[in-house]
Amino acid sequence: MRRGPRGIDAAWLIAMAHARSPLLLVFLLAPVFYLLALIGFPILYNILMSFQEVTLGNLSKLLRPFVGLDNYREVFADPVFRQVFVNSLVFVGVNVVGQVTLGLMAALFFAETFAGAHFLRGLLLATWMLPGLVVGALWKWMFASQYGVVNFVLEALHAIGGPVHWLSDPAIAMTTVNIAHIWYIMPFSMILIAAALTAIPLEQYEAAELDGAGPVARLRYITLPALRPTLLAVACLVTIYSMRAFDMIFALTQGGPLDSSNVLPLLSYQFSFQQFKFGIGAAVGTFAVVFVFAVALVYVRTLKHEARA
Amino acid sequence: MSLRKLMAMVAAAASMLAADAMAQKVITLWHPYNAETDMIHYGIKTFNESQKEYRIEARLVPYTQLTAEMIKAIATGTPPDLVTLNDPVVASFASQDQLVDITDRIRNSKVINLSVYFKGPQTSGVWQGRRYSIAREVNALGLFYNADLFRAHGLDPDKPPKTWSEVRAAAEKLTDPAHHVFGIGFCAHGSEQSTFQFLPWLWQAGGSINKLDSPEAIEALQYWTDLVQKGYASKDVINQQQNDVINSFMAGNYAMAVGGPWELPRIQKDVKFDWRVTVLPVKDGKNIQASSLGGFHFAIPRGAKEIDGAFKAIEFLSTPAIFQDGWKSGLMAPRADVEVKDPLWPKAYAVFREQVKYAIQRGPHPQWPDLSRPIQIAIQESLTGVKPPAQALKEAAAKIQPILARQPL
Repeated sequence: MRRGPRGIDAAWLIAMAHARSPLLLVFLLAPVFYLLALIGFPILYNILMSFQEVTLGNLSKLLRPFVGLDNYREVFADPVFRQVFVNSLVFVGVNVVGQVTLGLMAALFFAETFAGAHFLRGLLLATWMLPGLVVGALWKWMFASQYGVVNFVLEALHAIGGPVHWLSDPAIAMTTVNIAHIWYIMPFSMILIAAALTAIPLEQYEAAELDGAGPVARLRYITLPALRPTLLAVACLVTIYSMRAFDMIFALTQGGPLDSSNVLPLLSYQFSFQQFKFGIGAAVGTFAVVFVFAVALVYVRTLKHEARA
Repeated sequence: MSLRKLMAMVAAAASMLAADAMAQKVITLWHPYNAETDMIHYGIKTFNESQKEYRIEARLVPYTQLTAEMIKAIATGTPPDLVTLNDPVVASFASQDQLVDITDRIRNSKVINLSVYFKGPQTSGVWQGRRYSIAREVNALGLFYNADLFRAHGLDPDKPPKTWSEVRAAAEKLTDPAHHVFGIGFCAHGSEQSTFQFLPWLWQAGGSINKLDSPEAIEALQYWTDLVQKGYASKDVINQQQNDVINSFMAGNYAMAVGGPWELPRIQKDVKFDWRVTVLPVKDGKNIQASSLGGFHFAIPRGAKEIDGAFKAIEFLSTPAIFQDGWKSGLMAPRADVEVKDPLWPKAYAVFREQVKYAIQRGPHPQWPDLSRPIQIAIQESLTGVKPPAQALKEAAAKIQPILARQPL
C-alpha cells in the first residue's frame, strides 16, 4: 500500500503513537482540540438549541426549557420550509450537474495549447475569489429588468420579446440564482479538473491516436475514466459549497420573491435573526448539517479510494 | 540626576497617566450611522470633550446587521452600554427583559422632557407601562417626484397629486416604456421595509393591522397591485429595497417614488433634474392623512456596565442642539418643539415636518416580526399575481389573529 500524504489511516496513527514522542501527541491534540472547539461544539450547541425553547430572554443561558421535537414539528408543518427544502435540493442538483459539466468543458478547453490559455484560465479563477456579497450585488445589477445588461443583450439579439423579470418573478428567481452561483463557483471546479487532466499520461493519448481513436473516443475511453474519482470529488465539493451558499443569495434576492429562491442556511438565518425564533432556526440548521455531513462522508471515502487506487 | 531618581520620576509620571485613564469610564455605543454628517459623530465628540468622567467609544455596525449583532451580544453576554435600535424591535428586546428600564431616570431627568416629544416615538419605547428606550430621531415617508418629467407630460409640478386617483392618473401619464420610465416606485421588498411602506396606504384606506381581511385593507393592496399590473410601477419593486427604489428615481426611471427624508443628502448631491417632494396622498372620500413612523431609539441593554454613564450620554445626545444637527443627514427631531432654523432643503423640510405629524408607529408589539412577515408575504403574493389581494390578506389575517389574540396591539 502506498503511503501518500492522504493515505494516513488509523493503523498508521497507532503505530506512530507507539513511537511515544511527546511532541507527536501535541501535534495530534492540537488539531483535535481545534476541531472539537470550533466545529464540534457549534454543531452540538445548534442541535441542543433545536430541542429547546429559545428566546431573547434565555439566549445567554445553556439550560433552557426543553420542548422535545416541537421545533422540528413546527418546521415540518411550515409550507415555507418544505418549499425551501425542495429549493435546496434543486439548487444543489443543478449546481452539481452544471458545474461538473461546465467545469469539465472549460478545463478541456484551456488544456488546449493556444496563446494565453494559462493566463485566461487564471483570470477565470478570479471570479471564485470574489466575496459572495460582491458577486450577488454584481448579478443583481446585471439582472435588473429595466436597465440590466442581461436583458439589454437578449433584447438586442431578439431572444426575448419583453424584459425578463429575473429577480422579481417567483417562477424565474431560482434559475437566476443558479446561473449566478454556477458562474461564481464553476472556475473552482474547472481548476480541480484541470489539475487532474495534467496527471493523465500523454502516452495514452498518443497510443490511442495510433490505434485510430478520434477525439470523442479519446474523451470517452481515456479522459473520462481517468477523471472519474476527481469528478466525484468535485461533485461532493460543489454539493457542500452549494449547501452553504448564503452571502451571494443574500445579496441577490434575499431568498425572495416569496421564498422562491430561498435555501436552508438563509432560512435558518431569517428565522433566528429576523423573526427571533432561535429554536426553529436551529432545527432548520440541523437539516443542513446532516445533509452536508452525509455528503462530506462520501467525499472522504472518495479521497481514500483515490489515494489507494 | 541619578538613574534611580529618573526611573522613579518616569514611574510616577506613568502611574499618573494610568490613574487618569483609569478614572475615565468608557461607554461603548453601537450605532449604524456611517454618514459623516450624522449628528451622532458631532454628539460623541462634544460629549467626550464636555466632561472627563466618561468617554464614549463608538462601534459602527451596518444598519442591516444591528439587530443580529445585538442578538449575538446577548447570547455571549457582552452587550454594549448603549445601542441605537430600530423602533419596531424595541418591544421584542424589552419584553424579553433585555433592556434596562429607564422610566424613573427619564422622569427625574432635568434634560429630557417627554411631554414635548411626538406621540408616535414616545409610544414605541414603552412596554407594559414601562419605558425602555427613547427616540433619537424620527422619519416618515413622503412622495418624491421628478418635476421635469411632470412638465414633459403636461402635469403641473406646482400641483402634485393629492389623492389616490390623482396619483394613479399622474403615474399613468408619466409611464413611458420606450424610455424605461415608470410612473411610480415604492418598496415591496420581502422585508420589514415593505411593511413600513405599505402601512400608510392601509391606514389611508381606513384599514388596520387588526383587520387585515377588511374591505379597506383589500382596497389598499388592490391599489398597489393595480399600479404594478397596469405597468405604472415596475414588477421589480418586490425585489427593491427602499434605497434601490430611490436609486431608480435618481436615475430617472421612476417619475415618482415613495421614500424618507434620509435620502435627501444623496438626492441633493447627485440628482441633476428638478426634484421635489410632497406628502403622501389621501384616499378619495376618506381623507385620512397617514404615514409610517421610522427612526432609531437609544436603549441601554441589560448587562451594560456603565448604566449611569450611558444615560448621561442619552441626555447629552437628546439636546435641541444635537437634534437640529440631525437634519444635515435628513433626520428629524423627535421633539415637536425643536425647529431647525434656516434648514437645508427648506421645502422638503416643511413637507416632512408636516408628514411626521401624521406618522404612526409600528407596534409596539413583542412579536412585531411575526406580524410584519405575513403582511410582506401578502404584498408579494398579490403583486406577483400568485394570489388575489383578498385571498392573500385573508391568509395573512389568519396568521396574525392568533398572535393578536394573545397580545393585542
